[in-house]
Amino acid sequence: MDKLAPTLLAVPVEGPVDNATYDAAVKNHVQKLSKILKDQSGDIISHGSNFLELLDPSVHSLSYLAILHTLLIPGPATSVSRDTLLEKLLIFLLTFDPIQCRYAGSHLHDLFLLAGGGDILPPSAAVEALATAILRLDPTGSMLTTAHVCLARLAYSTNNVEPALQAIDKNIVFFPGMANPTEPKYLCDISLPPPAYVARETGLTGTLKPPQVMEYDLLCGLMYCSRREWAKAYAAFERIVAFPTREGGVSKIMVEAYKKWVLVSLLLKGKLVDTPSYTGASASKFYGSLAKAYTSIAVLFVADDARELKAEVDKNTTTWLDDGNGGLVKEVLAAYQKWRVLGLEQIYSKISLSEIRQQTTSAETGAPLAKDDDVEMLLQNMIISGMLSGVIEKNDDGTTFLTFLSPSTNLSEQGVAQELASSAIRLKQLQPLFKATRDRLGTSKEYIKHVIKEEKRIEKSEPDPTLAFDAHVDDEDLMGGVIATG
Amino acid sequence: MASDQHLLTYFTTMDNQGSIIVRDTPKLDLDLYISNYQGRSCFERLLLIGQCSVPLCVDALKAAIAEAKSGKDIQRYRDAWECMRIAAPDEPEAVFDQAWVTSTEKSNKVETHRLEAELKGYKNNLVKESIRIGHRDLGEHLEAIGDLNAASETYIKMRPDASTQAHIQDVGKHIISIMLQKGDWPGVSGNINKVLLNGSSEQQNADQPYQKIVSGLALLGSSKYYDAAKCFLETGDSTIAQQHNDIISLNDIATYGGLLALASMDRQELQSRLLDNSSFRTYLELEPHVRKAVAMFVNGRYSSCLAILESYQADYLLDIYLQKHVFTLFSQIRSKCIIQYFVPFSCVTLDTMNAAFAKPGESIEAELVSMIKSGTLNARINTIDKLLVAVSVNPRAATQKKALDTAKNYENEALERIRRMSLASAGLEVKGSHKIGGNSLPGVGDIWYESGRGQVVPSESAA
Repeated sequence: MDKLAPTLLAVPVEGPVDNATYDAAVKNHVQKLSKILKDQSGDIISHGSNFLELLDPSVHSLSYLAILHTLLIPGPATSVSRDTLLEKLLIFLLTFDPIQCRYAGSHLHDLFLLAGGGDILPPSAAVEALATAILRLDPTGSMLTTAHVCLARLAYSTNNVEPALQAIDKNIVFFPGMANPTEPKYLCDISLPPPAYVARETGLTGTLKPPQVMEYDLLCGLMYCSRREWAKAYAAFERIVAFPTREGGVSKIMVEAYKKWVLVSLLLKGKLVDTPSYTGASASKFYGSLAKAYTSIAVLFVADDARELKAEVDKNTTTWLDDGNGGLVKEVLAAYQKWRVLGLEQIYSKISLSEIRQQTTSAETGAPLAKDDDVEMLLQNMIISGMLSGVIEKNDDGTTFLTFLSPSTNLSEQGVAQELASSAIRLKQLQPLFKATRDRLGTSKEYIKHVIKEEKRIEKSEPDPTLAFDAHVDDEDLMGGVIATG
Repeated sequence: MASDQHLLTYFTTMDNQGSIIVRDTPKLDLDLYISNYQGRSCFERLLLIGQCSVPLCVDALKAAIAEAKSGKDIQRYRDAWECMRIAAPDEPEAVFDQAWVTSTEKSNKVETHRLEAELKGYKNNLVKESIRIGHRDLGEHLEAIGDLNAASETYIKMRPDASTQAHIQDVGKHIISIMLQKGDWPGVSGNINKVLLNGSSEQQNADQPYQKIVSGLALLGSSKYYDAAKCFLETGDSTIAQQHNDIISLNDIATYGGLLALASMDRQELQSRLLDNSSFRTYLELEPHVRKAVAMFVNGRYSSCLAILESYQADYLLDIYLQKHVFTLFSQIRSKCIIQYFVPFSCVTLDTMNAAFAKPGESIEAELVSMIKSGTLNARINTIDKLLVAVSVNPRAATQKKALDTAKNYENEALERIRRMSLASAGLEVKGSHKIGGNSLPGVGDIWYESGRGQVVPSESAA
């Protein structure tokens, strides 16, 4: 224990220092740690719990990590009580020093996956801890890692969506294994873009394959569906539907996602919109033929006949259940009448509830609602959820009616300015992402070759002024001859 | 009474065949009407009236039979007689004239042979002009006996021997005449350009009425009302147009031009192209009610305009070219009237609208709903206060929304582009692997099912 203490208890860097010093100090510390791990793992296992008590995970992150890793992998050590060990793991995940841990490599990643496996920690705690940890390591959350996929799987399968949202709400724009990785000078540099330190080379993520990338988005979409956040679900499914393809590729997940995307599109926009223009051509073809049942529902959804929609839905019940879309289809049926009511907004400014009852049909039963009170309830739900902007009023003679409010009256000049400003800020926040991509692609071999080639081509094709003049004259002579003889 | 019974069964069968039945008495006088026309279209007009108009049925059929017998087309006689037999079996014309049929059939055959033999002779002599005339004569004969396809083929054979512009024009006119009878509107449009001459302006002026009439009819047949209206309005010299009464009468030009213009042009255009058009005035004088209707529309007296048109609907429905389009045209004119009526107001009570447009005791609401739905009328109905309210556009709000949307779209697109670049550079695209293998769905079968995913989408076990 005494032999281990000086190394484990050492604080690699103290106080603010420049990148070079930090880098050297931490690298040195990591070297010592790995030596201990190699030679004296038995001692760590036996004294581990003492050290964990002594160490502060936010200061001695690397030492803490090393001990935890030894104790937990391959299996939880018996020398420490399981509860203590798990508690320490949680504390570590929630408080580790992200800069230090950049140097930890695959050890940190191993712990992420262990937590995300869902076997040792209670799922709700695991999801929360893992989501926090992922964001501690990469605060922008813009880089997809194997831990993300792990998190999504765990959160969705154990229905702990809420705590995972902080991580999955982030826009993913980077992926492991991108070409032309720049070797960062100092791993601790806080200005580094995420892909520079979260990489396979640093061990902070594993390798991802296209199915896993899509699976992540699919799981995100499903989670948003379970929270009825249709807009986010729509975006998530759309990312899969329009996944980049090459040589006519298409995959099963894309088709599955398309089916869900169609249904969510009905819920969110009331109709089926076209797939994004950049959707793969062959993928679109497959969508058309493999998701016919879904597109036919979409056609009926915008028509006036609720009974036909219901019949079509009932006819294909097994299809929905086989695809795992039974719940979404039910939602679509429930939403049908709401969208019919919204359609009335295009025709009426005020309309009595009994007229609404006559003009719209519920697709759940295939019949109009029984009482005007039911209509009122439906409308109230729509108004509360923000789907409908209108008010229910009562006349002197007792007829209840709905007044549609024009949606354009709600923003003041300041409000718009604010919205625009926040939008501008978000755009500015894209700048680093943009810069990272630009730097990476701008320095790739292929691009530089291309630039050189282009320059040469332009140099070559730059015409000699005298030559051009000659050609011009020649040309004119030819034409003159043709006209004269013809 | 018995004759009524026959008429009833006759029109029931007609109705079952999907043809239009006109019960109202039209304003036209049959003899006067038909005397406006010449040539083969007379019979078609008479037969159509016989098939569609209840009051004029028997008279028209009688005239049709007489017209058929004056010609050489046996099939036409059979058609007219078939109608007559059901509609009025007691009339003398309902007896089938076998003697006439046999003799005409015989003489037709003899004539065909004669012309064919003549043509053969011309061909042997290799005189181009004679061959052309031979073809033309044979074609005209075939047309007269009702063999339109053969006639058209024969006319086409005239073309190689046509040596002057006038000849080519002649070929074109003959072919177009067949196409008009067959209702081949795209064919007519295609051929009309071949009739165009690039000769002197005098010649062009003389040909203008024919071109405009025929292309007008072709456009009408293809439901391109605006272009058709322009053609009829530009017909020009009425004395030349009169010569083409085998196709259309001057009255028809006025009616077609007026109706189509009403349906497709706005007020200003109606004023400048129709009412202020001096050459079209001569036509309008023949059909003063059309002029009146247009003037009413331009002056904003929409209900009177509609009333005039309504009263002439039966006449329009008995016209061979107009019949199919009458209902569409009428509803278009009506919608236009409603829209125009509403333009100066921000809010109109439904009662006023009913008074102006609906039949007594009926409500216009359903029609308004369908117009708003189709986007032709930009207004909202208030069923509580019984109002039709104009939609006030708020450009400021629209601009604000547009600005915000643009910003949002830009953001999304920028993100998506970066994402796609990253995916591409990480080599994460879905690749179309084995090109054509045993698997008909390339890549669809790839394995993404993993042990952890079983409970995520339960259905996956089926995959």
